[in-house]
Parts: sequence; C-alpha cells; structure tokens
Amino acid sequence: MAELLTDLLAPSSIRFGGQAADWEEAVRQVGEVLVESGAVAPGYVDLMLERERSVSTFVGEGVAIPHGTLAARDLVLHDALCVVQYPRGLDWHGDDVRTCIGIAAAGDGHVPILAALAEILMEPDRADALRRAESVEEVLALLTPDEEPT
Amino acid sequence: MVQRTVTVGSASGLHARPAAIFVKAAAAQPVRVRAIVDGKKPANAASMLAVLALGATQGTTVTLEADDDAAGAGRQAVDELAQLLARDLDAEPGDG
Repeated sequence: MAELLTDLLAPSSIRFGGQAADWEEAVRQVGEVLVESGAVAPGYVDLMLERERSVSTFVGEGVAIPHGTLAARDLVLHDALCVVQYPRGLDWHGDDVRTCIGIAAAGDGHVPILAALAEILMEPDRADALRRAESVEEVLALLTPDEEPT
Repeated sequence: MVQRTVTVGSASGLHARPAAIFVKAAAAQPVRVRAIVDGKKPANAASMLAVLALGATQGTTVTLEADDDAAGAGRQAVDELAQLLARDLDAEPGDG
C-alpha cells in the first residue's frame, strides 16, 4: 500500500478561498504552494503548465490534479501534495473545478498517489465534502482512507 | 465474454495523457469494457477515476474484458484498447 496521502500533505500547504482568472493562473498558484513548501524547485511550475496544456489533469468530481511532466521529476526535492480550494469554481478546459490537488512526485511515486486519490474521489459523498471543505482538519480527514475492506 | 491481457507500455504508467487517451477510446466503444488489475476492483475503462485507481505503472498486467455479441463488438473493443495500452502513449505526439 502506498504511503498515506496525509503524510504528504503539510497543513500549511492546504489553502482556502483561492481565486484565479483561469486554470493557468490556478496552476501557477498551486505550483507556488509546492515551491514554498520546499517540495519542488521553482522550474517545476512551468512544467506543470506544460503538462496541463498537453492534457487536462481534471479527473472528475470537480477536482484537478496539476503536476509536472516526466521531465519535471528531476526538480522534485521530496514527494508532496498541496490542496487549493477555489469555491467560486474554475473553467478547467470546459470542466468545473473547485479543488486543485497539486502533486510533486519523483520516480513513479505519482501513480500510487493518484490511485489513492482516485479511490477516495470515487465515493461521491466524500468527493462532495472535499469540494466544500473549509478547514485543514476536514481536508485531512477526507483524504484519510477508511479501514481497508480486505 | 472476451478478454485480452496486456502489459502497460507507457513510460509514465496509466495516468495523465495515456489515461486520457485510453479512457476516451474506451468511452467511444459501443460496449462497456472493464479493466482488471490483480488486487484491485475491476474498473469501468471509460471512467478516469476508476482507471487511475488501478494504479497501473509501465509493465503492470491489465486484463480487458467485455461482453461479446454476434457482430464481435466486444472483441473489437477489447482488441483496440489492448493495442492502445501496450503502446508507449507518452512517446507519441497527439492532439490529446
């Protein structure tokens, strides 16, 4: 099992009330949070934009998961996540996004991270609560998986 | 029911561009295709979240299955998607 999402998410990397004119500005803001947290070198942000232009990181349920291209891996200092809430919503290549989860992962680290995130978002109630979450405690609780069913 | 088992060819695994291409192709099929990875819940191949939840990296074995009909729509869908999965979609330019 992958490490817990919440181990990768510093409380100071969870931001509320985000405002951006478009997805491009939002990706820059999300990238800046990762830079501030010391997870990535500043150049990572441009490669997040490059990834987003190549293919939308919208995954459904009002959530986008901006992250760098393959080439950006060298700019990752340590694996980390950040969450930025956009309560007014963003037009994300035609999809409505309320929650951005920025991902910094070296190697293949992003795959188990994405898988864990996707499993959480496949629960509609939990995804809805995440979109509306307004406190660090709520976000951390929603990203903590329930007991493994098996 | 028809099945095809392949290993993921994309360098970054089944996420981002490769996942987007795969999910789009699955959604365009006339039949519902399931993607199965050992130890994970079978995924609707046309659902981005379900496909991401498989956590498939390059080299992961994925079984695709669909119900077949007299016209062979299931077989054709499974064959087409298996070919996509086996390719390195990161290495190919595309319009996304």
